[in-house]
Amino acid sequence: MTTLSLRIVPQGRVDMSGVVPEALAGRTANDIAAQRLQNNGSDVALGDLFDVTLDDDDTLVIHTHSDCLDYLGKGMTAGTLRVEGPAGHYAGQGLRGGEFAIHGDAGDCAANGMTGGLLRIQGNAGNWLGAALIGDRTGMSGGVVVVHGNVGDRLGDRMRRGLILIRGNAGIACGARLLAGTLVVGGVCGSQPGFGLRRGSLILGQRPESVPSTFNDSGWVELSYLGLLRQYTEDFLPGLLPAVPRGRRYMGDQAFGGKGEILVLA
Amino acid sequence: MMINGIHIDDTYAEAFDMKATRIVITADSLIWARHAANAAFGFATSVIACGCEAAIEQELSPTETPDGRPGVAGLLFAVSTKELAKQLERRASQCILTCPTTALFAGCSGEESLPLGKNLRYFGDGWQVSKLIDGKRYWRIPVMDGEFLAEESTGLLRAIGGGNFLVLARSRSQALIACEAAVEAISQVPGAITPFPGGVARSGSKIGSKYKALPASTNEAFCPTLRGSTKTELSPEVEAVLEIVIDAVTDADMCAAMKAGMNAVCAIGTSGGIVRLSAGNYGGKLGKHHYRLREILA
Repeated sequence: MTTLSLRIVPQGRVDMSGVVPEALAGRTANDIAAQRLQNNGSDVALGDLFDVTLDDDDTLVIHTHSDCLDYLGKGMTAGTLRVEGPAGHYAGQGLRGGEFAIHGDAGDCAANGMTGGLLRIQGNAGNWLGAALIGDRTGMSGGVVVVHGNVGDRLGDRMRRGLILIRGNAGIACGARLLAGTLVVGGVCGSQPGFGLRRGSLILGQRPESVPSTFNDSGWVELSYLGLLRQYTEDFLPGLLPAVPRGRRYMGDQAFGGKGEILVLA
Repeated sequence: MMINGIHIDDTYAEAFDMKATRIVITADSLIWARHAANAAFGFATSVIACGCEAAIEQELSPTETPDGRPGVAGLLFAVSTKELAKQLERRASQCILTCPTTALFAGCSGEESLPLGKNLRYFGDGWQVSKLIDGKRYWRIPVMDGEFLAEESTGLLRAIGGGNFLVLARSRSQALIACEAAVEAISQVPGAITPFPGGVARSGSKIGSKYKALPASTNEAFCPTLRGSTKTELSPEVEAVLEIVIDAVTDADMCAAMKAGMNAVCAIGTSGGIVRLSAGNYGGKLGKHHYRLREILA
């Protein structure tokens, strides 16, 4: 379909809002190059920053060697978007459908306000992944986020629905203030996991240093739900969940209703 | 028409519209999935008095089930959506939820749906947890061995019930052997079940009775003990008749199941004591689907 190759490293940040597969489909290279972008607060043409080429592939590919591109895939509803290189902040913000793959790292606040689709990050992701947008009451409310590397702090803060899968480690307060949905962290996590968790599941592949004191230990249990979840997640991150659907269940956060859980699998 | 010495009557099986659903029961082992299924589908031979007709459709390997455990798929048929929903809820709550290690999933989708875990969740008394995975809602209900996992709803299918054929034999044992072969053959057909015990019915019925309270009564024309006193359908050498009743999801499934079953009987042939194949024909009073034996076997 369309390939955009970042020609220069622009000064400051570039707002990539509107550069999504459905918006570029069927347009000529010149038309796409004329699309207006915001660069560091100034109005610029997309063609000033990117080389535009068209081919028969249905995928929109963005080649970048700089992490200055923010809002990649913002509001995308369908199609396939692939970023070759690092993404800036707010990648996949408000993603509603389609597949968005980042073959590199992502900055802060990826998948904020996401409601559907698939966001796959091959590298690491920053803080506030899947969390609420500033001023919003809820974070991610649908779709699937897959991170092959590590993530920063406040993973899934105020997340409302959906599934986030992390192969690596998570920073402090992962799953904080979780409203519902499922978070899986295969590696280690920082302090205060699940702090303020209301409902939903925070699934940890490795035992955390400590579980907040406002969680009640329910001991080890076998859960069919974990088997079902494993079947589903194998398509995204094979081996993330163990074959034996067994975990240690902590119910909480009791200071916030106590209807959620932390499941520790090891 | 004669096949392997067996006379195929020029008649048809009269079947009728039904509502159906497919569910999948999984457990830690196939044994426990079967326990749950056998309990849930146990008293479900005929809609005349059971509320629904149901049976195991097929056994499933761990790779074929939603949670990666062994399981069984079962089909339930009833005459109305309301009755099907009622029977499904009763049987799921009393026979599947209660069975150790089981989980319950939808086995089909449709334009309409039936509650599955949607109402069972209240057994959790407020401790139940909802999960949305791949667009489907599931309920995790705490029970004493951990959790009972149930999908919120299953699909409603428009199906066909009452397909049948009669096996007329020189002896009861020979009729039974032939029917066992037929049931085994039908069990290989997806989308079809034989709901009677072992898949075989001995009490073929006619519509109505001399007793006003009964909607159905014995089909005396096929009862060997009455042939001296009734207008019998039986020739002198026929000593026993058994019936295979089939419910199927689609017309094609019904045809495939009847063909598989009758072919299995025909393979035994007259040397196995089989004299005739006939079918339950109620003169068009029972249902609009007519399955002509000779056309199916042609």
